[in-house]
Amino acid sequence: MTTPSRRRLMRDFKKLQEDPPAGVSGAPTQDNILTWEAIIFGPQETPFEDGTFKLSLEFTEEYPNKPPTVKFISRMFHPNVYADGSICLDILQNRWSPTYDVAAILTSIQSLLDEPNPNSPANSLAAQLYQENRREYEKRVYQIVEQSWMNFGENEGDMEPKEGEEQGAGDEPAAPSGSN
Amino acid sequence: MTESRTESMPMDEGEVVKTNNQPTENRPFALKRWNALAVWAWDVDCDTCAICRVHLMEECLRCQSESSTECVVVWGDCNHSFHNCCMSQWIRQNNRCPLCQKNWVVQRIGK
Repeated sequence: MTTPSRRRLMRDFKKLQEDPPAGVSGAPTQDNILTWEAIIFGPQETPFEDGTFKLSLEFTEEYPNKPPTVKFISRMFHPNVYADGSICLDILQNRWSPTYDVAAILTSIQSLLDEPNPNSPANSLAAQLYQENRREYEKRVYQIVEQSWMNFGENEGDMEPKEGEEQGAGDEPAAPSGSN
Repeated sequence: MTESRTESMPMDEGEVVKTNNQPTENRPFALKRWNALAVWAWDVDCDTCAICRVHLMEECLRCQSESSTECVVVWGDCNHSFHNCCMSQWIRQNNRCPLCQKNWVVQRIGK
């Protein structure tokens, strides 16, 4: 039997397909509409540019009255992202509104990437470097951007591009050995 | 505001014609006929419930799956409107309008 929260998630999914916001995508997993996987592309002209960051979203039957639990699966280096990938973002906690949907959540996280809030650090090193040593901060970010490509095809999932295309389209110097 | 209409009501020409409608130097035209135009629209900000995403004139998602009797609309003082069922679930945890964050005060409930 379908529930209001599952129906709402189907509407979110339909909207995401029919009117996709730039640079984000997401879909429920095959066996459970309460568990989603999503990809956020790093915003252009930021250190996160070209990153393909994978996230998981866990909804409950109380959605949309309660926010989902959102985590980065890809490694992240960001002042407001904890080591386990969970995100410190007001709209996912005390500023949640039931009018938000998956598209709004993903675009908010995307804009958080280049607009961190150093006042509520979840990663103190990232917060410190962001404020005191921007060059080093960006260097660390480039590293996780490169890692996001390497891990991109590793997990299962329907969202990844076909293998051949992924290799061919890489005109960036994606040499994975470069960083070690 | 999807639904709005314009209607023109032809007035009795005789009323207008009686007034001074002959062309003059300052006003080189004659007023022969005029139409009053009225425009109306529903007094709501949005037709769709922002919580469940179903049109306000239809049953909310919860009522659709539970085939309840009456699904009504609630308006706040901020003039935002939602399904009453959707809103009553939300204000249990936070008594603010989900759209404008103002304190939620019911203005009226109905269809």
